[in-house]
Amino acid sequence: MKEVQVLDKTERKKRLAADIGGTFTDVAAFDERSGELRLGKVLSQPHDLVGGITNGIGATGVDISDTNLFFHGSTIAINTLLERKGARTALLTTAGFRDIYEIGRINRPDSFNLYFRKHLPLIERQFRLEVNERLYADGSVCRKLDMDEIAAIADRLEQMEIEAVAILFLHSYRNPEHEIKVRDYLKDRLPQVFITASHELSQEYREFERTSTVAANAYVGPKVNHYMGQLDSHLSQGDFPGSLLIVKSSGGLYSAPEARTHCIWMLESGPAAGVVGAKELCEVIGLKDAIAFDMGGTTAKAGVIKDGQPLTTSNVMVGGYREGLPIQMTMIDIHEVGTGGGSIAKVGPGGSVRVGPESAGADPGPACYALGGSKPTVTDANLILGRLAPDRFLGGNMRLDPEAARKALVENLCSPLGLELKEAAAGILKIAVNAMSHSVKGVTSERGLDPGAFDVLIAYGGAGPLHASAVARELGIRRVLIPAAPGHFAATGMLRTDLRHDFTRSIFKQLDDLPFKVMIGHYEEMEGEARQLIEDTGISVSSIVMQRGIDMRYVEQEHAATVELPDEVLKRFDIAEIRRLFDEKHLHLYGHASPEKPVEMVSLRSSVRGVLPKPNAERTERSGQTSLDQAFTGARDVCFDVSEGYVETPTYARDQLQAGNTISGPALVEEYASTTVVFPGDTLEVDELGNLLINTRKA
Amino acid sequence: MSNAAIVTEEDAEARVDPITVELVRNGLIAASEEMKTVLMRTAYNMIIYEALDFTVGLFDARGQTLSISLGLPMFIRGMGDTVRAKVEHFGPENIQPGDVLLTNDAYITGSHLNHPTFSQPIFHEGRLVAFASCMAHWIDIGGVLSGVTTDIFSEGLQIPVVKYYKAGQLNQDLHDLIRMNVRMPERAMGDLQAQLASIRAGARQFEALMNRYGGDAVMASIDAILDQSEAAAREQLRQIPDGVYEAESFMDDDAIEIGKPVPLQVRVEVSGDTMTVDLSNVSPQVRGFYNTGAGEACAQVAFKCLAASQEYPINDGTYRPLKVINPKGTVLNARRPAPMRLWMTYPMTVIDTIFKALAPTLPDSVIAGHHADLMVANVNGKDPETEDIFLYLGGLIGGGWGAKSQEDGVNATICINDGDTHNGPVEQVENKYPLIIRKYALREDSGGAGEFRGGLGTVQECEALAPINFQTRIERVNNPPHGLFGGMPGMGNQVAVRRSNGEETVFPNGKLTDQLEAGEAYILRSGGGGGFGPPGKRNPASIRHDIVQGYVSAEAAKCDYGFTMEAED
Repeated sequence: MKEVQVLDKTERKKRLAADIGGTFTDVAAFDERSGELRLGKVLSQPHDLVGGITNGIGATGVDISDTNLFFHGSTIAINTLLERKGARTALLTTAGFRDIYEIGRINRPDSFNLYFRKHLPLIERQFRLEVNERLYADGSVCRKLDMDEIAAIADRLEQMEIEAVAILFLHSYRNPEHEIKVRDYLKDRLPQVFITASHELSQEYREFERTSTVAANAYVGPKVNHYMGQLDSHLSQGDFPGSLLIVKSSGGLYSAPEARTHCIWMLESGPAAGVVGAKELCEVIGLKDAIAFDMGGTTAKAGVIKDGQPLTTSNVMVGGYREGLPIQMTMIDIHEVGTGGGSIAKVGPGGSVRVGPESAGADPGPACYALGGSKPTVTDANLILGRLAPDRFLGGNMRLDPEAARKALVENLCSPLGLELKEAAAGILKIAVNAMSHSVKGVTSERGLDPGAFDVLIAYGGAGPLHASAVARELGIRRVLIPAAPGHFAATGMLRTDLRHDFTRSIFKQLDDLPFKVMIGHYEEMEGEARQLIEDTGISVSSIVMQRGIDMRYVEQEHAATVELPDEVLKRFDIAEIRRLFDEKHLHLYGHASPEKPVEMVSLRSSVRGVLPKPNAERTERSGQTSLDQAFTGARDVCFDVSEGYVETPTYARDQLQAGNTISGPALVEEYASTTVVFPGDTLEVDELGNLLINTRKA
Repeated sequence: MSNAAIVTEEDAEARVDPITVELVRNGLIAASEEMKTVLMRTAYNMIIYEALDFTVGLFDARGQTLSISLGLPMFIRGMGDTVRAKVEHFGPENIQPGDVLLTNDAYITGSHLNHPTFSQPIFHEGRLVAFASCMAHWIDIGGVLSGVTTDIFSEGLQIPVVKYYKAGQLNQDLHDLIRMNVRMPERAMGDLQAQLASIRAGARQFEALMNRYGGDAVMASIDAILDQSEAAAREQLRQIPDGVYEAESFMDDDAIEIGKPVPLQVRVEVSGDTMTVDLSNVSPQVRGFYNTGAGEACAQVAFKCLAASQEYPINDGTYRPLKVINPKGTVLNARRPAPMRLWMTYPMTVIDTIFKALAPTLPDSVIAGHHADLMVANVNGKDPETEDIFLYLGGLIGGGWGAKSQEDGVNATICINDGDTHNGPVEQVENKYPLIIRKYALREDSGGAGEFRGGLGTVQECEALAPINFQTRIERVNNPPHGLFGGMPGMGNQVAVRRSNGEETVFPNGKLTDQLEAGEAYILRSGGGGGFGPPGKRNPASIRHDIVQGYVSAEAAKCDYGFTMEAED
């Protein structure tokens, strides 16, 4: 890793971050001079996303003309993809290969289900057109492009009233010349049509995954452009003087013009920003390894921070593993580990208790929402056990109905199985927590990591703080951290992101013939491109951090491991050292290495970050006095352990807690959109940043 | 310690609450998943971590399957049989802590010799309570390299039921013997270590469950888990009307007597909440290497797909209502020394045949026939630049799946023997070998016509850039995937060669050993799925859609459906 200092010219003004989620639009505003953080939460407006942002900004009381940076995480791309509401799209591909997009990888993960389904391409077969061109694997031309043919294809595209075109030619990661020619011709000839070529998004081999990537970009392109246009004109009407930056799935930022061409990179911006926020928290409080646990109403997700950096992946399945569409892009590695507060409990054949995967979602929602749901859910169980209060949900704005929850549990679980009410409710939570913990363990052990060795579990999202301690205990993690405003964590995380560009070049070479000069050329080219993009934003960065990586594998393997490449090793042309680094990495990841086996390089990776000055987190001094009186709001009966029944448990208002306050469990800490459960025997401490730090007793 | 007793059901009758049962169920699943993760992470061979050619799982002291994590569906049965054979061989009283039991006996595992299976006994308070077990495909186990084998001895090293570790002590002689008999000992020993790591992880997780919830509670939970799976299966079976259902299919031949079909007849009887699958009337074992011991597994896979609830993961409780009659000496339960190397090929057709038999009574659950072959080409040659010999496992192109009562079949998907197995990217193949793939496409018109159309097979054309040798052992060329309820069969699998003069020769069967010069190509075409329901009942909008998308040609639409675009316009 290499760091270049850049003079900091940023005027310290205000920065805004807006995260649009399925239900809520969250806005966070940070004043760099005063250190003040303001939050706004409003309902999302699916048909007027920009209007939702305006309302959210209004809720913070900040004037947009007074801000210089606007960070935005949007669901426009992911929703267009998942709801299949994208453009009428065509694919141009090498002759003989128009079906690779539909054939995919032929795998059938759902082995015993005769009604399994494959991924459904975004582009119908009739709109997948073949071009008579071909490159060899080394990038040399096997069959030349015929521009007359392309002209005829352009006519057809016009006739078919195509709105977006994706171009994929085989081996374009090696030589993009044919893709460029066709792209430029079509842009010129069909100026109203969104045109995108695979090499612009990915220079990695694997034709199906690259096709799927470029097809998705084309499919969402026109919608994203329309949205960005709206946002732009809205911001300029509001006399916004600064820069609009979009959060990528990698957790980094890119400029609005780039977002208009590389639309899919914003697919997972919200979840990524949450993990970046968790990473920044780790840095501030001096921790290296953390699990970021995000649990909302309909899903629970986990990300991993190792050695101070979030783990990333370069191949993402959008829409799930079984039927999803692969996208080749750098993304923070986030896994779904459960189904959230809406998970339904039921009696299975032969008298078992099953929790999930069915979810009551937001509509009809848990029985206690009294919106028509009659099935018992995780949220109902929390209400029955007293962990949620009927009159304090969403700051008291939404009343929960304990009688409806009781009825749902009694009818669906207690009566058929002869369980007591509290036994059934506690059982639902135990099973849900146990299942989530197993999923988190799966994520870490697949990466060769031991969950118990992590410093902390950082929990956010509405339902995260309710279950965090129980999940941590199952994982063997002793510390839990609930950040300030856990329901706004994605938006506040965005305030702390950097500009970031990730590039890849596929080059297949045996280790012994590594073309060092060519490699250095590629790295410099990628870095130059990234620095230019950073410069183009016009934003002053405090430093530029560059990281070089090399994907390698033993010759007969399919999957490669990424090895970080220190500068001096590259400069020395040190093959032996690269070899050693690879074997070491392989040993760490897979438990063994084979120093005698031939090794090959498949790709070069470059990651360049333009580091933005971070808002200094507001620290409140420890007041010295440790009285909790100001935060105490009463007590209610809560059940933590069935055998001990309900115990009187004090409740505290989070916004009244002060740095240095400590609470011994059992206790509940309540705030607008979530409740933190402190189990008997656990202790909670409020730190100077307003985080709640829970030390769990050993199970 | 040496006189460890088996925990029987009677011992574990303590009542356990349904919450604990669920936690134990999740714990067992997590344990076998952890075994899978450890194996995949540490295995040396791609066939394990890419093609997922393995099974791991936990078994009780009598060899009942408690939880398995499958690589391939066809391994549903073999490991339980193997654990039982091990217990029987030594007797439970002679199994000690620290033992690791091993065999690759093809007639026990039901597959081929490449499947060494390691099992570690698990003890709780001095009693034998369970086994953690792992089978994984070794890239080589000795034996002849190519051609058709005609007995087990030519297929490699046979390891009877033995103790690889005895009370914690490695059996070094045995280890050395194995090592000397395999072609790539480094890799084989690497995979062996990965298997040991996997069973150790499984044993550790099982012990952790016992320590956390208590031995009696875990054993009682296991009884409840098996009972619940049984209840779920019986509930499903009660929905099926009683009756006897029969069907027959044919394989092309046994690779020795080319062109002589091999019959596979199945009889299924449903009575109340039980099912019997009778495989007595399949062909006697054959001379070529297509024999298998996976008859019972065929019945179990079909049962899991059709009659067992998808609510619970697989365990032996699921199969209590299923009886399989599978006498020795048939192609599905071969006797030593029958050759077994391609054990996976025939069972795929057997499963399809069970679906066919049950179609009259389960029309909304079954599926028409699929292409039923892995569609592999084994390629070797010399790299023209380095002169190094290369081996390439080509093909694996996927094929068509059968139509269902309300849905068209799925296109281009791996056959039922495999699950989460991936094809190789063309861009990768061309980077590694002197080959150029000219075409990888859907095979138009290959899906059987019907009210619901069979899925399309694929075609792959692989041209040599330097001289190569290739071999295919593809079945079901002349016995294409069947349709159901008046649906037409799909096209069969096919192998062809394009010579340098551009002429294509299509071969009458799929078992070919040949050489190609630079510029010549082999062409694999996988079968399409069978159709469901008479073509005349197909919705014209669907036929139009098929023509517009090019899944069906205008000519085929006219011939199969009597449909023309003009007539519709």
